[in-house]
Amino acid sequence: MNGFNVALMPINLWYTFLGCFMGTIIGVLPGIGPAAGIGLLIPVTFGMDPTSALIMMAGIYYGAMYGGSTTSILINTPGEASSVMTALDGYQMAKNGRAGAALAVSAIGSFIAGSLGIVALTVLAVPLAAVALKFGPAEYFCLMLFALAAVSSLTGKSIAKGIISTVLGLMIATIGIDLQSGQPRYTMGVPELQDGVGFLVVVVGLFAIGEVFSNLEEHIKGRSEIIRLSGRLWLTAEEWRRSIMPIVRGGLIGFFKGVLPGAGATIATMLSYTVEKRISKTPEKFGTGMIEGVAGPEAANNAATCGSMVPLLTLGIPGSGSTAVLMGAFIMYGIQPGPLLFEKRPDLVWGLVDSMYIGNIMLLILNLPLIGLFVRILYIPTGILLSLILAVSAIGVYSINGNTLELHMALMFGVLGYVFRKVDIPLAPMVLALVLGGIMEQSFRQAMTISGADPKVFIHSGISITLLVLTVVMVLLPVVLPRLREWQSGPEDTDS
Amino acid sequence: MRTDRIISGLTLLLAAVYLYATSRIPTLEIGDPLGPKAFPILLGIALVLGAILLVIETLRAHPADTGEKPRESLHHLWLIGGVTLWTVLYFSVFDAVGYLVSTSVYLLVMTGVFNRGKWIANVLTSILFTIGSYVLFVKILGVVLPRGILSF
Repeated sequence: MNGFNVALMPINLWYTFLGCFMGTIIGVLPGIGPAAGIGLLIPVTFGMDPTSALIMMAGIYYGAMYGGSTTSILINTPGEASSVMTALDGYQMAKNGRAGAALAVSAIGSFIAGSLGIVALTVLAVPLAAVALKFGPAEYFCLMLFALAAVSSLTGKSIAKGIISTVLGLMIATIGIDLQSGQPRYTMGVPELQDGVGFLVVVVGLFAIGEVFSNLEEHIKGRSEIIRLSGRLWLTAEEWRRSIMPIVRGGLIGFFKGVLPGAGATIATMLSYTVEKRISKTPEKFGTGMIEGVAGPEAANNAATCGSMVPLLTLGIPGSGSTAVLMGAFIMYGIQPGPLLFEKRPDLVWGLVDSMYIGNIMLLILNLPLIGLFVRILYIPTGILLSLILAVSAIGVYSINGNTLELHMALMFGVLGYVFRKVDIPLAPMVLALVLGGIMEQSFRQAMTISGADPKVFIHSGISITLLVLTVVMVLLPVVLPRLREWQSGPEDTDS
Repeated sequence: MRTDRIISGLTLLLAAVYLYATSRIPTLEIGDPLGPKAFPILLGIALVLGAILLVIETLRAHPADTGEKPRESLHHLWLIGGVTLWTVLYFSVFDAVGYLVSTSVYLLVMTGVFNRGKWIANVLTSILFTIGSYVLFVKILGVVLPRGILSF
């Protein structure tokens, strides 16, 4: 395992730092998230060594988790979906003059949980990859089906919308020349579409442009912002004592939720917050500045980030929007994440994983003393910031193929992303489906070819059956869970 | 709820269009038994199911969940529409006029609208960003950006 040899190379140290630095800024900035950030950066990295590029992008991914909490605490505006929970008590802590403590606990909690998460990733990776090698096309198809089902049902309130989003992504993936038959599909006579719809075009459109449009609307509506300068950046002994267990719990919840496909970080933070509140002796104080409500979710979202790297690296299955973009980056460099990667390019995989240890340390340093620096970014007027992001999006998309058709397509997806946000259709399933669509169809057809068009091949092996059952569970979950909750809360109400 | 029904309708329409386009794909019987149409047909069916599921969800929604959002001000939609049109214009002339000119004009107007009144900051940002990004991306990173009407 010579991953550290790779990770400690000066050039990779530089890229780790760059990634973490940019990630923090992206996390702090409203209007752009890690998915968009990675997407915009991919074309710039085309000339680079793939390992270095991936190290940088991973840095952006987990770095953004650190940055997002800063805005949650200081101005009650989460930079990321996964920082929403942090704002609940974090902002209150800031109002009580304990902003420094909130920032500190979120940075330290993230560091501890993140480091433990990476250790867990290291430990789990090899055995999981070994299992994955036994997967044939039928098993892979079932696995991808399960991943898509999980993401559809766990993001947002409506599984129907999740399914629609997923299927739309799969449909977009079918545009282009079908590899197995040479037949063009849905290209409508447009030659540029023969290679399909560019992945980056969709990502930049949905996540960067779409997000900017939504934020422009919010900006015009007049979001008032109160920026509070932080107090001393340290925790009292008592705050430490109260935070340790939430960090541990949050880390565990986060990691396991991250490994499971489906909006890992966001739901992990919600779970952590709920758990802390339930366990607490003073649940009614949650929402007024309880440090447990910051420590837990922050640990959870960082652990979830590490957790979501597990299926990406070992199985080649991304579990969230951002990991889907990361996977897209892998594919663009001609690298297929999955069990074979461990055999063919262990230096890349372990270099990447080990760079995460280093990155976590860098982020701790960046986020404690240097936090004031990042907060200054927020002073840039929103109107200017959002406009600049649009210009950067244009550069990013144009730099791929130099054709303006893709610019217009990106804009189209931007409008789509804006509309989806307004009507609560989740975006992550669509991006995931887009990334997996081609492979999914190939697996499906390969499996059917091997079995001679016999659909029973999908229920042939134990693995496929298990995955299919889990898929059904995922789909039924949103229907069953509310019933369970009602049934559970029944007896509680009669107590009061 | 009304929007959800519109979504269902549009989705069904899309599914119909997709399935129709799928039926137009010529089928060759060589090699894999399924051909290029099989997977898309499954997708079309899945989309229809999704739309139906959405309708079921709207019908089953508890009254407490609904609470129709107050009618969003149409003014904001006009604004986003305007931004979209302005961006379409920007993208259309991007190649012909070149990065430097098109981007500076684009940013000048955008910042003028969204950062009203701060002329100096807006003009400075628009020009400096455009030049700075051009230098960074073209000269340092080797990205190709259109020159357009300028000679350098």
